[in-house]
Amino acid sequence: MHDVAVVGAGPAGLAAVDVLASHGARVLVVDEQPRAGGQIHRQPPATFAAATVPAGRALLAVAERADVDWWWRTAGWGVFGGHAGLDDFAGSTPADRADGDGPMRLAVHGPDGARTVRPRAVLLTAGAYDLPVPFPGWTLPGVLTAGGVQVFVKSAHLLPGRRFVLAGAHPLLLVVAAQLVAAGAEVAEVLLVRRPRAGALLRMLPAAAGNTGKLREGGHALAVLRRAGVPVRFGTRVVRADAGPDGELAAVVLAAPDGTHRTVPADVLALGYGFVPSTDLARQAGCAVRYDPAAGGWVVTHDRWQRSSVPRVSVAGEITGVAGAEQAVAEGRLAALGLLADLGLVPAPRIGRLARPVRRDLRRRRRFATALAAAFPPPAPAPADDETVLCRCEEVTAGTVRAALRANPHLRTANGVKLLTRTGMGLCQGRSCQPAVCALIAAETGRSVAEVGPYTARPPIRPIPLGTLAGGDP
Amino acid sequence: MYDVAVIGGGLLGCAVAYHLARAGTRVVLLEKDELNRHASGQNAGSLHFQLEYRMVADGDAAAERAARALPLHLDAQRAWAGLAAELDAPVEVVQHGGLMLAETADELDRLRRKASLERRHGLDVTVLTGAELTSLAPYLAAGVRGAAYAPGEGKANPRLVTLAYARAASRLGADLRTGTRVTALTREAGGWRLTTTPTAAGRGARTDGVRAAAVVLAAGVWTAELAAMADVRLPVVPVALSMTATAPTTPFLPHLVQHVGRRLSMKQTSDGNVLIGGGSPAKFRAVDGRIDLETAPELRYESLVGNADAARVVPAVLRLPVLRCWSGATTLTPDQLPVLGPLPRRPGLYAATGGSAFTLGPTYARLLAETLLTGEPSLPIDAYSPARFGFLNAV
Repeated sequence: MHDVAVVGAGPAGLAAVDVLASHGARVLVVDEQPRAGGQIHRQPPATFAAATVPAGRALLAVAERADVDWWWRTAGWGVFGGHAGLDDFAGSTPADRADGDGPMRLAVHGPDGARTVRPRAVLLTAGAYDLPVPFPGWTLPGVLTAGGVQVFVKSAHLLPGRRFVLAGAHPLLLVVAAQLVAAGAEVAEVLLVRRPRAGALLRMLPAAAGNTGKLREGGHALAVLRRAGVPVRFGTRVVRADAGPDGELAAVVLAAPDGTHRTVPADVLALGYGFVPSTDLARQAGCAVRYDPAAGGWVVTHDRWQRSSVPRVSVAGEITGVAGAEQAVAEGRLAALGLLADLGLVPAPRIGRLARPVRRDLRRRRRFATALAAAFPPPAPAPADDETVLCRCEEVTAGTVRAALRANPHLRTANGVKLLTRTGMGLCQGRSCQPAVCALIAAETGRSVAEVGPYTARPPIRPIPLGTLAGGDP
Repeated sequence: MYDVAVIGGGLLGCAVAYHLARAGTRVVLLEKDELNRHASGQNAGSLHFQLEYRMVADGDAAAERAARALPLHLDAQRAWAGLAAELDAPVEVVQHGGLMLAETADELDRLRRKASLERRHGLDVTVLTGAELTSLAPYLAAGVRGAAYAPGEGKANPRLVTLAYARAASRLGADLRTGTRVTALTREAGGWRLTTTPTAAGRGARTDGVRAAAVVLAAGVWTAELAAMADVRLPVVPVALSMTATAPTTPFLPHLVQHVGRRLSMKQTSDGNVLIGGGSPAKFRAVDGRIDLETAPELRYESLVGNADAARVVPAVLRLPVLRCWSGATTLTPDQLPVLGPLPRRPGLYAATGGSAFTLGPTYARLLAETLLTGEPSLPIDAYSPARFGFLNAV
């Protein structure tokens, strides 16, 4: 029996676990990865013992706690019974529950198959993923996300190619490019769609107090790239990716600000347009979301203790808005404090005192994140060509979506388009195509993305073998 | 002033609008959300013309009563076969036959009684066992003792059918208004006034309401509350269900598979996904202690397990990944027959809803349109008349 099940062992989750377990809460952590750290502190396998993870070492040490249950390679794929509904007489009745169990169930799938747990509360800290921006050729082998390239370099100590072009809108590109240079890769160029807004950059300076780590990281990356002679260009965008005779990426066609095209040979194109909050499990659980383009798209709403709209489901980190690891840590701590009070594990006045410094820290982080978002706004999505594949799972093109909207003029929502065209119905459950499809529907129907809505998130949010469901819980 | 206002943008509403528009009627369709966003688009697309599990689970008398809809089953079996050509749109109708399975001696006995009842009503259905069954359906588990085979059964694509009807209706001049909620039905000289209010899904939604000589209530689970606006009580019961879809795989399951002893329907779509449904329940959300029909029912973990368990009769599915599970709501009546026809003492007011309204939808819609246009449907529909619930209505 667990007081809290934490889904996601990244910065927010680890910070929360530390606070929860230190105050005697019985905690279960599930994470799809084999080790703690999330995307940001992704650890190399144990064989790379010499490798260092400079940031977040203290945080990673949390994962050594023996008083916490760690279920690695385990996906949380559904939250059931979270809503105040009618009593469920068909199997989830109070009599079935162990003493102290909550009415809510978290369904997980790991090396031992599928099962459910009944924690008293759930904390969702699922983080974020790279924003996919479709263009002709984006599905070619060799076109990767900057985050994906970083995983290769940081976690496997491998270079996924020889000659790299990095393109997008996010300053992370500079950091990844510098890591690639340091690992001995040839980086042809780094392209940012827009020059950072100077005024916004200036406003970052006062907001940077306490956030100097991030600025230092960016400055260091620029210095590395300058020394290595890697051009960093602003205003240049990717037009398309071309395949070579082997069907893999061979060249990237770029458009300069004046509109002229040129072709750059490369075997890896790493894209970093920004990040999308991983809200799927939260949305499946029924948590309310709102659309906040500066924070990465749909974000889970929460109160001042990080509680979502669903009772006993709290949220922390990037799923409440993309803002970086430091803010995630602060939110994780705050969520943990809120849960300790809600579950009656620590008296409320004491929680109030403990929360004060965390709130101060969080305010500072939020100021910086807001300033950073203003300096590097996610690109306004360029309308995709009809031939461009939006949903790579079901191979649905932008042209198919446009044709569906034209033939069925009542269609107004992402869910309506999904049902008719199958976009978002594939293995990734729409994580990949949702931003582009919603933007396209909004553009074609003259509505806002907020009105178009996200896809309904359905369990299992990651595919699980049907056989592991049959027979019920072990 | 319209000749007919149809309330409900599901399969039935769009199909009724299509048939009326084709006959030259001035018809308006009012839907509070988008088209096809509720039961018509959420069901798993079975074309099941045998009596379902729920109709034969409660003894022979109930089965006999439910069998009174079999003439509609026979009509629908023909209607689906010609639908793609009629609407000039792909609707992915496949009628390669359906099997209703029995795993125990008792179930096999029930299957035989069911088949004989259906044959009396003219349905082509045969009980197969042993090698005959194995050669027809080698994918079945060894524990399956027999199956009733109806060659006209199959599947259609619920993602496509309603919108195909809607586009055809629109081409013929029907006025389709989405995002338009009807909030009052008022009898006035020469017909009805429908008060409307725009919703978030609105497209060209207007607030000025609609006037029509006749009104068709084809609103699924909302039919009862619409009828109540005209002070008529209809006993239609919303039932929340859950469905499961697997990842696509190579074609191996040409038939619709059902089970006579439990809730199960299974089929493989033309894209290769296996859809599992057939009645595993979901749970209506409650707001202030009352069922909320406006939010999708909540999926129950037990139903996901139930769908997976039911699928054990086709072992190949056990290794397929589950892609998603979803919920929907269907509309049933106490006697499991549809509600189809004019409402008594409400001139010009008609209803069309009730069980199996996807499978039987094209037939319900055509018969209701014929009733409106000529007063003489091509099949008798008296047995399904809302008048059988007249005892609920004093005025």
